Amino acid sequence: MSDFAGMEDLMQDFLLESTELLSDVDNKLCELEKRPNDKALLNDIFRGFHTIKGGAGFLNVSAMVTICHRTENLFDKLRNGELPLSSELMDVILDATGVVRGMFTTLSQGLSPATPDAGLLAALDSALAGNLASSAAATAKTPVVDTGAAPDAPDWNVLHAAVTGPATVSAPVVAVPAPVVETVADTPLLPVASPKAAPAKVAPQQGMASAPPENTIRIDTVRLDQVLNLSGEIGLTKNRLTTLRTEILQGNMETHTLRSLDEAISQLDLLVSDLQNAVMKTRMQPIGRLFQKYPRLARDLARQLGKEVELVITGEETELDKTMIEDLNDPLVHLVRNAVDHGVESSEERISVGKKPQSLVQLSAEQVGDHIVIEISDDGKGMNPEALRRKAIEKGLIDAETANGLDEKQCLQLIFLPGFSTKDQISSVSGRGVGMDVVRTNIQKLNGRIDINSEQGVGTRISISLPLTLAILPVLVVRACNQPFAVPLAMVREIIPIDVAAIQEVSGRPTIVVRDEILPLKTLAGLLNWAPTQKPQFGVLMQSAEKSFILAVDSFVGRDDVVIKPLQNIRPKGVAGATLSGDGSVVLVLDMEDLLMGQADAPSGGAMMLRNADNYSY
Amino acid sequence: MIDKNMRFLVVDDFSTMRRIVRNLLKELGITNVDEAEDGQVALHKLKTQHFDFIVSDWNMPNMTGIELLRAVRADSQLKTLPFLMITAEAKRENIIEAATAGASGYIVKPFTAATLEEKMGKIFQSLNK
Repeated sequence: MSDFAGMEDLMQDFLLESTELLSDVDNKLCELEKRPNDKALLNDIFRGFHTIKGGAGFLNVSAMVTICHRTENLFDKLRNGELPLSSELMDVILDATGVVRGMFTTLSQGLSPATPDAGLLAALDSALAGNLASSAAATAKTPVVDTGAAPDAPDWNVLHAAVTGPATVSAPVVAVPAPVVETVADTPLLPVASPKAAPAKVAPQQGMASAPPENTIRIDTVRLDQVLNLSGEIGLTKNRLTTLRTEILQGNMETHTLRSLDEAISQLDLLVSDLQNAVMKTRMQPIGRLFQKYPRLARDLARQLGKEVELVITGEETELDKTMIEDLNDPLVHLVRNAVDHGVESSEERISVGKKPQSLVQLSAEQVGDHIVIEISDDGKGMNPEALRRKAIEKGLIDAETANGLDEKQCLQLIFLPGFSTKDQISSVSGRGVGMDVVRTNIQKLNGRIDINSEQGVGTRISISLPLTLAILPVLVVRACNQPFAVPLAMVREIIPIDVAAIQEVSGRPTIVVRDEILPLKTLAGLLNWAPTQKPQFGVLMQSAEKSFILAVDSFVGRDDVVIKPLQNIRPKGVAGATLSGDGSVVLVLDMEDLLMGQADAPSGGAMMLRNADNYSY
Repeated sequence: MIDKNMRFLVVDDFSTMRRIVRNLLKELGITNVDEAEDGQVALHKLKTQHFDFIVSDWNMPNMTGIELLRAVRADSQLKTLPFLMITAEAKRENIIEAATAGASGYIVKPFTAATLEEKMGKIFQSLNK
């Protein structure tokens, strides 16, 4: 049951909008720590609380009004220079925003939040009372929203009378109607469940993790209009085609008709791809909505750990598919925490190695071609490949022989192994059940790639590369055993012709040297465990997170943008799904990671299942 | 009493709030409503389109409600336009400031459709005097 029956829509809007606003306030608060006297910042924060309070008032969330009102008054004093900003005050304010955020979570579950903690209110009140004139103190202490008669109601009538006179006399403008002044605190809008009556229903206040996923989206009307416009155009083209079909069915095969048909189809082609783009754009959201939560996160964590960290964000306007933005949150939170917790050193350590005491963590997003690249870099101590190698052996994650065969870059990749954690003790900061392996799995689920670069003493840089959207996957269509297969283009580095003479055997396995890099050669037929029908002619240089190899194929068809349809009922190993090619035949889209794993674990089983899938293709 | 065909401009930077005001106006049968997200946008709309009534928030970025009010009163075309100021501020000095700047009425959040109607009624009453 919802406490807000009939207002869900409005509540949704309010939550969406005010959550954004609050994140913005949080960031501004972090900025404020650096520039405590910035009037514009103080003004913005004041307005943020003020706006949330206004909305909460209409929705009868009195607990939120109470707290926002106090915080707002505090900022009113701060911006007027009536109060100095101290770090204690800052903590109280940050507490308050935390509580308001908790209330948003409670509200999103359809419950009314409890009256805020008396301690916090008292802290806000005493902060307000720090040094004030008596009249202002009275205002501050007046509860804004309260059921029952407002004690100050008559005041307004007096004031009204007082104000009407001078206004009409002194107003320089002509024919200004007399002001009408009134408060409405005495008319409760809707019956609201008393917070005190239902303390048991209160959801956890710090419920950032348990917030349900948003299922509404805000779209720029210009983009929506574009979709509408294009679908209209497509309708017109369809009409044209219907007419042409009738003509052709009646035996009209004149050049003129056929040319019109050709034109109409080319136009449709263009319009459909425009429409696809336009629809995709409606799902695109600036990544800043995600990034804006992190400065606060980094700040709180750094404070807790006694470090000085500045989080610098760039490229927040970069746009990404909405679902991806949501799924990116957990991995990014983890990476930001990692950078602050493990990446950078304490101030003392930094000073002793001659660095600035304040460390810098940079978070950036950028569109590179048809990919989005997100980077998190720190100027900390970097990672020690040797230590990572030892650790992995110690934990029994890899055997010593494999470990010794790894180069430095591959050693860094070891942190992605499940069960790998460089810190033995689980601090309150890390150890939230998310390891780097989960981060990588999450990124890979989004068809993304994660890479690490680290230099000891200089810092670590983690880059995540993601496709613009999940809806359309660019693939390379290759042929093996007389059948087309699609491989994700994101993994393809280049295509090379295979010269039999260039194949060298290294410890019994075929390899090819490409620009001084020894790469294993795997035939697609071999991976599928099918009998090869011909000698592979081409090699596709594939690069996945930690290994590169050459995929030998018979020939290739070309690149294509496909929409993957998952296979129902059967789940063959190494197959992500199927798609239709231009001529209407089914093409299997390969999941290379899965396919490689299948080769190591159960070569025959995977292939047998693939044979079943074979029926799909013909 | 209130002409239902009048064209209203609702000015607020918080879209939820614009929606709330719009809903309240709808309850009063007023549907000819346009929105603006701050004073600047509002002023532009006021200068290019015809409106009969302004309902504006006080606290907004770029151009606040009070600045909008002053700009409206200083414009020879717009100066007689009824201007209802909405705000969560219930402080005496704010009300005086709004009044001296020429606000036709002042209403404190949160409020009901009935309050809004009453307030608008008073404004039109004094207009027709």
